[in-house]
Amino acid sequence: MFKRITPFILLFSLTGLLTGQAQAVGLKAVKGDVPAPALQLKDLQGKTHNLKDYRGQVVLVQFWATYCGPCRKEMPSMNKMMTKMGDVPFKILAVDMGESEAEVKQFVDEVKPEFTILMDEDGDSIQSWKVFAAPSNFIIGMDGNIKYTLFGGVEWDSPELIEKIKALGKE
Amino acid sequence: MNIKPVLLTFTLLLLATAVQTNVQAKEIKIVETDDADVEVRIFPAEGNILLLGFACDEGKSISEERTAQSLADDGIEVWMPDMLSGFMLPKVRSSLIEIPTDSLTKIIAEATKTGKDVYLIASGPDTDLILRGASEWEADNNPPLSGAILMFPRLFKETPVPGQVPEYVDSVGKTKLPIMLLEGGRTPNRWGLNTLSHELQKSGSKVTTKVIPKVRGYFFKRQDANRSEDVVTSQMAGLVKVSLFYLGENEI
Repeated sequence: MFKRITPFILLFSLTGLLTGQAQAVGLKAVKGDVPAPALQLKDLQGKTHNLKDYRGQVVLVQFWATYCGPCRKEMPSMNKMMTKMGDVPFKILAVDMGESEAEVKQFVDEVKPEFTILMDEDGDSIQSWKVFAAPSNFIIGMDGNIKYTLFGGVEWDSPELIEKIKALGKE
Repeated sequence: MNIKPVLLTFTLLLLATAVQTNVQAKEIKIVETDDADVEVRIFPAEGNILLLGFACDEGKSISEERTAQSLADDGIEVWMPDMLSGFMLPKVRSSLIEIPTDSLTKIIAEATKTGKDVYLIASGPDTDLILRGASEWEADNNPPLSGAILMFPRLFKETPVPGQVPEYVDSVGKTKLPIMLLEGGRTPNRWGLNTLSHELQKSGSKVTTKVIPKVRGYFFKRQDANRSEDVVTSQMAGLVKVSLFYLGENEI
């Protein structure tokens, strides 16, 4: 009897582990080839960044705002994430959702993100990328297609996330 | 003559008058529905507009009550039904699903008996209930309501997936009622206003949208309200009157 049950227990345990891992990661895989919309914005230093210039790199495009609690909380883990990507060419473009430069600069002085902050005061990219909540994340593969989306704050330097995103650098 | 007792008596009298004025301004009406007796707090006024709604949760709607009193002082009658207490439900989002739509339409029916122009108002997820109520009211071929004010509506069926147009709750796009959408400037939801407006218009509603700068959603319920939010909260009656104006009321 026990022998019959054991494989089921094992199976359920494994399923639980897999489900648990999927929830921890929170990434939603995008099926098929879905090209990332255009993104051309200036950073806080006035330099223009165009997403298409980062073709050949894995890019995390994040839409965030200073008033978004989870955005503030996860930014230190995004700093750490950049140091853990190894030899995978990787870039973070964090698009502020329609706030003023003064508001964003004050936030940057406090939270100290070490990645590129882009300004979109008119919210044009927010509309074209269909963003309705913050933080909204898009992981863009080296081919310029959206590979994963993720809503909500996470620990970006968690081993599961790093592993999944690093794998995109080998495709 | 010792002036202290006189001053004390005068102060107490003044306070008593102030409290009495507040109590006198409010009436309680019990509306019997099929499933529950709902207490409706009424802030009576002489004008021909009646505003029905606001969240009314066991006396905790302090800003809403102040706004209601201020509106009543300006001639706009306000009815605040305490749906949650009536149905003995906790103040959580999922409670709204438990409230039968026809309980609200019963209250709407009572409100229309006054002969005034009836407008609906709600905030956050509560906006689903008034949209449900409005569409059921229209479906029964009742006399038309005058409009609805949706303050920072939260009507997503599920958390929106980045890159996809969100799905809204079933009540969206079912009523012809003119709608005013108010949203805080410091919330990601402001970027979804156009999409929500488009969905609401599908059933024939004329929708007007207005972003209130420098405030977050639920600004009048926040413990950590900033200066801008305090200012807007204190002027909420004005915000409602402007909304009524946009909804087509020209007699304010």
